[in-house]
Amino acid sequence: MQAQGEPRVNRRRRDWRGWKFMWPFAAVFLFVTVIPIFYAIYISFFQNRMIGGTVFVGFANYVRLFKDPLFWSAVGRVALFTVVQVPIMLFLAALMALALDSMKLYGTKFFRISSFMPYAVPAVVSTMIWAFMYSAKYGLVGSLNDWFGTHLNVLSPSVLLAAIGNINTWEFTGYNMLIFYSSLSTIPHSLYEAAAIDGASEWQIVRRIKLPELKGSLAITVIFSIIGSFQLFNEPSIMQNMVPGNAISSSYTPNMYAYTLSFSGGQTNYAAALAIVMAIITMAIAYLVQLKSMKEQMN
Amino acid sequence: MSTATLQETAAPAVHSRRDARRKEKELERRRLRDEKAERRRARQAGFANVANPRRSKMLTIVCAIFAIYCLFPFLYLLINATKTQADFTSTFGLGFGKTFALWDNIKTVFTYQDGIFSRWFLNTILYVVVGAGGATLLAVMGGYALAKFRFPGRKAVFVVIIGAISVPGIALAVPQFLLFAQIGLTNSPWAMIIPSLVSPFGLYLMWIFSEQAVPTELLEAARVDGASEMRTFFTVSLPLLAPGIVTTALFTIVATWNNYFLPLIMIRDSSWYPLTIGLNQWKDQASNAGGQAIQNLVITGSLITIIPLVIAFLLLQKYWQSGLAAGAVKE
Amino acid sequence: MRARKFTPVLASLAALATVMSLTACGSGSSSSSGAQGDADNAEITFWGWDSGGSMSKLIAAFEKANPGITVKFSSTGNAENTQTALANAVAAGKGAPDVVMLEDATVMQFAVTGDLVDLKQYGAADEADKFVSGPWNMLQYNGDPYGMPIDSGPEVLFYNKAVFDKAGVNADDIKTWDDYYEAAKKIRATGSYITNNSGSSMDYQPFTAQAAQAGAKPWTVDGDNITIDMNDEGMQKYTAFWQKLIDEDLVDTSIANWSDDWNRALNDGTIASLTIGAWMPVNLMSGAPDQSGNWRVMQLPQWTEGEDYTAEDGGSSLAISSQSTNQAAAYKFIEYMTLGDGAVTMSETGTFPALKSILNSDSFVDPDSDANKTTNEYFGGQNVNKILAEAAQRPVNTFQYLPYNSFAQTEYGDDISPAYTGKETLADAFKTYGEKLAEHGTQEGYTVTNKD
Repeated sequence: MQAQGEPRVNRRRRDWRGWKFMWPFAAVFLFVTVIPIFYAIYISFFQNRMIGGTVFVGFANYVRLFKDPLFWSAVGRVALFTVVQVPIMLFLAALMALALDSMKLYGTKFFRISSFMPYAVPAVVSTMIWAFMYSAKYGLVGSLNDWFGTHLNVLSPSVLLAAIGNINTWEFTGYNMLIFYSSLSTIPHSLYEAAAIDGASEWQIVRRIKLPELKGSLAITVIFSIIGSFQLFNEPSIMQNMVPGNAISSSYTPNMYAYTLSFSGGQTNYAAALAIVMAIITMAIAYLVQLKSMKEQMN
Repeated sequence: MSTATLQETAAPAVHSRRDARRKEKELERRRLRDEKAERRRARQAGFANVANPRRSKMLTIVCAIFAIYCLFPFLYLLINATKTQADFTSTFGLGFGKTFALWDNIKTVFTYQDGIFSRWFLNTILYVVVGAGGATLLAVMGGYALAKFRFPGRKAVFVVIIGAISVPGIALAVPQFLLFAQIGLTNSPWAMIIPSLVSPFGLYLMWIFSEQAVPTELLEAARVDGASEMRTFFTVSLPLLAPGIVTTALFTIVATWNNYFLPLIMIRDSSWYPLTIGLNQWKDQASNAGGQAIQNLVITGSLITIIPLVIAFLLLQKYWQSGLAAGAVKE
Repeated sequence: MRARKFTPVLASLAALATVMSLTACGSGSSSSSGAQGDADNAEITFWGWDSGGSMSKLIAAFEKANPGITVKFSSTGNAENTQTALANAVAAGKGAPDVVMLEDATVMQFAVTGDLVDLKQYGAADEADKFVSGPWNMLQYNGDPYGMPIDSGPEVLFYNKAVFDKAGVNADDIKTWDDYYEAAKKIRATGSYITNNSGSSMDYQPFTAQAAQAGAKPWTVDGDNITIDMNDEGMQKYTAFWQKLIDEDLVDTSIANWSDDWNRALNDGTIASLTIGAWMPVNLMSGAPDQSGNWRVMQLPQWTEGEDYTAEDGGSSLAISSQSTNQAAAYKFIEYMTLGDGAVTMSETGTFPALKSILNSDSFVDPDSDANKTTNEYFGGQNVNKILAEAAQRPVNTFQYLPYNSFAQTEYGDDISPAYTGKETLADAFKTYGEKLAEHGTQEGYTVTNKD
């Protein structure tokens, strides 16, 4: 509670200077993202029929969505995917970043480049390569089966999601690692020296100095990883034809479902409603997960 | 070492040659002892000793396993780029084909279909230089604004951006397309470049980095000296932000280089395709009735596609080094 | 503070309103005043895929013969992408090409919504007899042609003689599907499969072809009314037959058509035969080079002994989009590509022709022409084109495609593949499929009757 005579800490002075730097990004963002979102919301209240043209249907698309079992199983699938894949990937990325930053490796530069390389490969190519390796008949898994007499099938429906998760982890661990590493590299080394002189062990330095520093970049990587994995599309879409038994249906993930609806089913309006609902779900989860640290960021 | 010799120079004069030698030996022993103590200290706090960190074999081996995991598929790419189409369908994935066709494949990649691959390559470079370059600039400026200025609407900007990127890009694709079609921008390089200018991730990255790397006091000092905001930005802040800028540039370059879905929607004309879509089209030839499979070209093309990114990363590494040094010296 | 804060919001809403009003007038055919354009002087845009690699040559020859017309070709990759691109352009109200290459089955989809031009006004209807009936019939909507066939895809049986011999199967004895079933058993005993089928969306077209051959009509379209009947006589024949093959493990259900595994399986003899369109030789030669000399071709097995029906598996056509303002010139180009020299050139570079004159020509079946020599060598010296030409002229049951064919194709994969992995019977899978098709039709505004 503030005493009467004290100046209010956050007296608004309407400082517009920031906009000098913010406006280019904001302008393009408005054009490229915000307006299309409003448009998507708009069309989600209509339906474009082959017979009858465009018709206003109110919330009918949303009602249909809530009752749609394909949608909810897709949501469940990406939720499961997120909950498992994101922690694994970020854990690996953080470990790798710490290892690189510790300067205790032979050939640090080599490890830095090699872990980032997978990110440089377009999704089409990575998926193609991994899908080949996974093939139980002609791929590496097939060869393993031949050599060891096993009957592994990593593309069977029960482990398929994990197989896709592996591709994602392969693609993005280096990416996240670079963010963590970038963050760690801003710690001045004199801090380490001071801590060493004070008698801190290596472990303590990691725990007290490095990990807290990582927390900042953890916020960003967690949010973007969650958003990214909820939007899983590239890998399952490309693998569709390579997976036996059509285990990847056209509504395997919400994004794939939206894609199929828009481009094979001619139901762009329903797809728009789906996108809006997915956005709300994703945002809710992202906020829940990062509520505390984002509040800190804002102040 | 310094301490020992200092003490020695202050010592009383030597009386005989034997004494001299004994003193020398003692010097030597002390020096060795100090060095040993030094090394022991360094061992205990490995990385804290910037000059001489002790390297760990164990850690290197563990990281090597991870490196193998990362590089393994590249091996597949390399090996299969040496195969002809016939070999590709018949031989074991990680084994070599009957002939070594790498140079032939490369030549064919650049001459197939009247050399359209080179056109795709140039397109991609255009999109990346203008698109990613622009994206980095916008993200740097925006992140700087968010970190260093408390402007009205700041919170709203943040909320809107996080909200907007939560919307699945797939569903935005059609409205984006319709918007661009109305303005007549589809099927042109602008359809690729303008959406690439927005990198929410880059923005966030630069925001955090600006907060960490640019001390507000420095800015205040410059303002007091009468410098405009723009001048301050260019002369004071940018140099400090260098490592962050390099990271953001790297990410936007890769994202634009590998962007697949955006050009799929926006670009009809194959002469404006970037490499990703072009390669995909070649890959699909095999599934076209009456089409000729050219998977060996797809693989070789993919290999060629990756190389510039690797080079970019290697080049940017230098700035990485100096950025690190700057970060270490700063206090 | 309040007023200032809303200004940016208002500005964007204003921009939004502008955009909305522009895009609100979405699809709809443009009236033809001026749409015909000048038949001799125009620049026409053409979207399509170039599987034979001969497009630039074809266009150059056309432009030489028609000096006032320039053709700007955009390779749109494959059938699916082309159709998506057209749909997008239609939704945007602008940007559609003059001439577009479409798979026969999707022409109806665009004709229904008025996005393609009725070609009768340019004399196309008179050309009916020049084409084989299969593809021609697929391009009719309300009795008028909306596209001209570039190629056809009569189904034939390609088989690997080496594998057949090993299993003790004499291909000449396979006259009916029952004979095929017996052969399948023998081949399975040697470790190979007679063919593959995984019920994926890539297996949709062979399904429509073979169901049509059986006389099935899983759906009928009559104006705004659609009737779905997954249980008619033809469908029952088809379903029962394939159920038998699935139950007795006689087909490889883990490989989808056009996948990498598929090519490899063809290449090492694991898949012994294919019932697929006549355009397959090029794909076979590049996808399964190790089997050169082993493959042969013969006519499709019949459902009833003595019949000689075939079926259409794929096929593409050229159409004119209703946004075009150069329709007359566009039609000239189409004529060249489907009826004129263009058609001949295409048939020499891997396209299987739909023109009777080419199919019956001596050069087409001449075993000594360069193109034929390579193919025939792969097929162990057999005169492949002779058999394919014969197949193309066999009677075909007319088969109608749904106005939402792309949906039907995607949905097929989702609903039918569980039957191929043994999770349910094929009959049940088709029942679900029928229900989904009916639901979609209703959503699209059709009056649907599902007879199941």
